Amino acid sequence: MAEPAYTVASDSETTGEDKPSPAYPEIAIGIDIGTSQCSVAVWNGSEVEILKNTRNRKMMQSYVTFKDEIPSGGVTDELSHEHELFSGSTIFNIKRLIGRSDTDPVVHASKTLPFLVQTLGIGVRPLIAALVNNAWRSTTPEEVLALYLVEVRAMAEIQLKKAVRDVVLTVPVAFSRFQLTRIERACAMAGLHVLRLMPEPTAVALLYAQQQQQSVHENMGSGSEKIALIFNMGAGYCDVCVTATAGGVSEIKALSGSTIGGEDILQNVMHHVLPNLDSLFLSHGIKEIKALGLLRIATQDAIHKLSSQNSAKIDVDLGSGLRISKVLHRFEFEEVNQKIFEKCGNLVTQCLFDAKEDVGNISDVILVGGCSNIPKISSLVLSLCRKGEAYMGMNRLEAIVCGAALEGAIASGVTDPLGSLDLLTIQTTPSSIGIQAGGNNFVPIIIRNTTMPARKELWFTTAHDNQTEALIVVYEGGGKTVEENHLLGYFKVMGIPSAPKGTPEISVCMDIDASNALRVYAGVGMPGVQHPVMPFLEVRMPSVDDGHGWCAAALMKMYGSTLDLNILHKTI
Amino acid sequence: MLNKKLWISILLRSRPHFLSTLFPKQKLSRVFSCSYHISEPRVYIRFEDHFIGNFGFPKKNFCSQVSTLSVSKCWNCNAVALSKPFLACESCRCVQPVDPSVDYFQIFGLKKIYGIDDTNLESKYKNWQKKLHPDLVHSKSEKEKEYAAEQSARVIDAYRTLQKPLLRAMYLLQMEGIHVDEEKTVSEPELLAEMMEFREAVEEAGSPQTLKQIQGQVQEKMEVWSKYFENAFKNRKFDDAISSTQRMTYYHRINEEIIKKL
Ligand SMILES: [Zn+2]
Repeated sequence: MAEPAYTVASDSETTGEDKPSPAYPEIAIGIDIGTSQCSVAVWNGSEVEILKNTRNRKMMQSYVTFKDEIPSGGVTDELSHEHELFSGSTIFNIKRLIGRSDTDPVVHASKTLPFLVQTLGIGVRPLIAALVNNAWRSTTPEEVLALYLVEVRAMAEIQLKKAVRDVVLTVPVAFSRFQLTRIERACAMAGLHVLRLMPEPTAVALLYAQQQQQSVHENMGSGSEKIALIFNMGAGYCDVCVTATAGGVSEIKALSGSTIGGEDILQNVMHHVLPNLDSLFLSHGIKEIKALGLLRIATQDAIHKLSSQNSAKIDVDLGSGLRISKVLHRFEFEEVNQKIFEKCGNLVTQCLFDAKEDVGNISDVILVGGCSNIPKISSLVLSLCRKGEAYMGMNRLEAIVCGAALEGAIASGVTDPLGSLDLLTIQTTPSSIGIQAGGNNFVPIIIRNTTMPARKELWFTTAHDNQTEALIVVYEGGGKTVEENHLLGYFKVMGIPSAPKGTPEISVCMDIDASNALRVYAGVGMPGVQHPVMPFLEVRMPSVDDGHGWCAAALMKMYGSTLDLNILHKTI
Repeated sequence: MLNKKLWISILLRSRPHFLSTLFPKQKLSRVFSCSYHISEPRVYIRFEDHFIGNFGFPKKNFCSQVSTLSVSKCWNCNAVALSKPFLACESCRCVQPVDPSVDYFQIFGLKKIYGIDDTNLESKYKNWQKKLHPDLVHSKSEKEKEYAAEQSARVIDAYRTLQKPLLRAMYLLQMEGIHVDEEKTVSEPELLAEMMEFREAVEEAGSPQTLKQIQGQVQEKMEVWSKYFENAFKNRKFDDAISSTQRMTYYHRINEEIIKKL
């Protein structure tokens, strides 16, 4: 490619809205960017095909190595030895770091990674740096992802022998809307246009819908509705989804997700075999990073073996006279990770509850992602769903990218004469969106698991007498207080008529359109007056930038509770 | 206050950002999902023409538009509609603009009665979404995208409304031009006492089993009044129908409280 390493497109959010439609549809490719691995697939005209890189691999490592001036990623890079991954110059686990501030516990847990992650705990983006020629070169998760996506794009273009622009990317359920904007940003930097960001398990749901549709055609079956529970756990995230499928339509009933994954399991085991790990590696010198990398590889190996064996040996020389030689038993492994397994179970229970679906109605339990291979996890999920065995029709590691490719074809307007693309996913909102009111309470306006597109409206009022301005602070999440949720943005409503507190009627309306764009509207009225006292304000969210944690604190410091809102209580 | 409950949502309908500028007469056609969200503390149901009156759109004009639209021809290929309701064209698969004269029952091919056999709702819902969902017209014109967004949202509303007995009951009354004030204070002393009893029982319930037991009682009551509504509505005894929906509303709220505690 004669193109520059990456093109930084404009920051505007309207990418692609006004582009003329081509004579025949360009088929969007599906990309599954995993915390540790990545894969790409495309609809080839008759079926989904997973693309292979020059080393003939479907699964590519998700990392970027910074060497001299030219960074290179895991798509094309030929690492001489796996250990090079842990030399300090390679950045990985980007999916865990993107769009998070330095107060986020996930960022703090990333400090044992063999590159530099520095936090000041003030709510801005953390400092992330790779070791290049014995100096720390700072970068950002977006930049790392963009560099990686440039390679993905080049690889796909060579294979497909045409330009690639449109993509469908899969994302964890637990991603905040702010994180989604960061993914879009990275794509734009890599010259890619995001057609859809799809929660990972919903991509699996789409593939399941296609498989069910096909089996109905083949067996002349009834085609009645089938309820499936999808459990996906990779290196970085765990997602659960309950879907009701009929006639090629997958209706997402509920989603739940959390930032727990193989990385946490690995961290737990590493701390188990080397309890003083954190203090030993505090200095983050070159030697320490190398030792950390060695320990990582050895532990990863052992965990992998424990999926099929009852014990595995970790035997590794970390240098400086530190040698670890330990047999790790499966029961030990399960004990160390008990909390993680509990969380997985909770996500399944939560999702079933939200879906208002009886466990007895579940036809299939679909287990995908690398960690669903862990015996304890698969048996836990199956027992919660009261099933003897998991659905067999899918490859654990390929299901997500295949679903993304299907969505890519459907969203590109491709049709299939055999009806293989006669499919649809009806999505729901993965988390609640609301505003701050009544002190630091989070008041949801669009509730989690609402069918999209959605529009909801709630009434608020002033908290003080003669309050003429009010701050609308928009959050996303499931916590009762705003501090537990993600700040998406804020704006001020001005020109409220002077009146006793509780009198003005302030309406806040939230709208999520078909392309998942969120808009927040606010209007002010007075009792007995039909028309708004001023024009509505419309704000596209998220509107905050990287310092979102810091923003909330600054707002608090500047305004205290003077611009607060309360829920408007109606008389009964 | 009452008329402004879904204030922005209503005003947004006339915004070109959401709705077609090419077909301005369609601007009033969409009923947003928020109007019928049962999990909120109150059930909001409003008259279409009520809003319109409030916001200065003459009702007469509105009706005449509806009638012109009932001559169903595809806006894209001009093919005459083969089947009713005409939400998507049979020959070119184009999504059609919303026709407000088509009611929720018609969308699902049902008679306007309360006791609908709802086993087929889900598959009919999915069949419609497969023809109308905005995701499927991503590469089409802006105009068709807007139609898809509106039609799809309307089918979601229709599905949710018909699926839930209480909303279905209120919708039926609404179609008869009757507005149920679900915020009306309880006046019957017997009902008031029962409500208090249930509330106290829920508050004092210590175990999930007790709550489940109360839930069973509430659901039984719900079914009784649901049957009562069905008969009253069938015989066009609207006063009785209204009072049964009010009771159903109360039981629904108690059930919500129980779910919250469970
Ligand atoms: Zn047509």
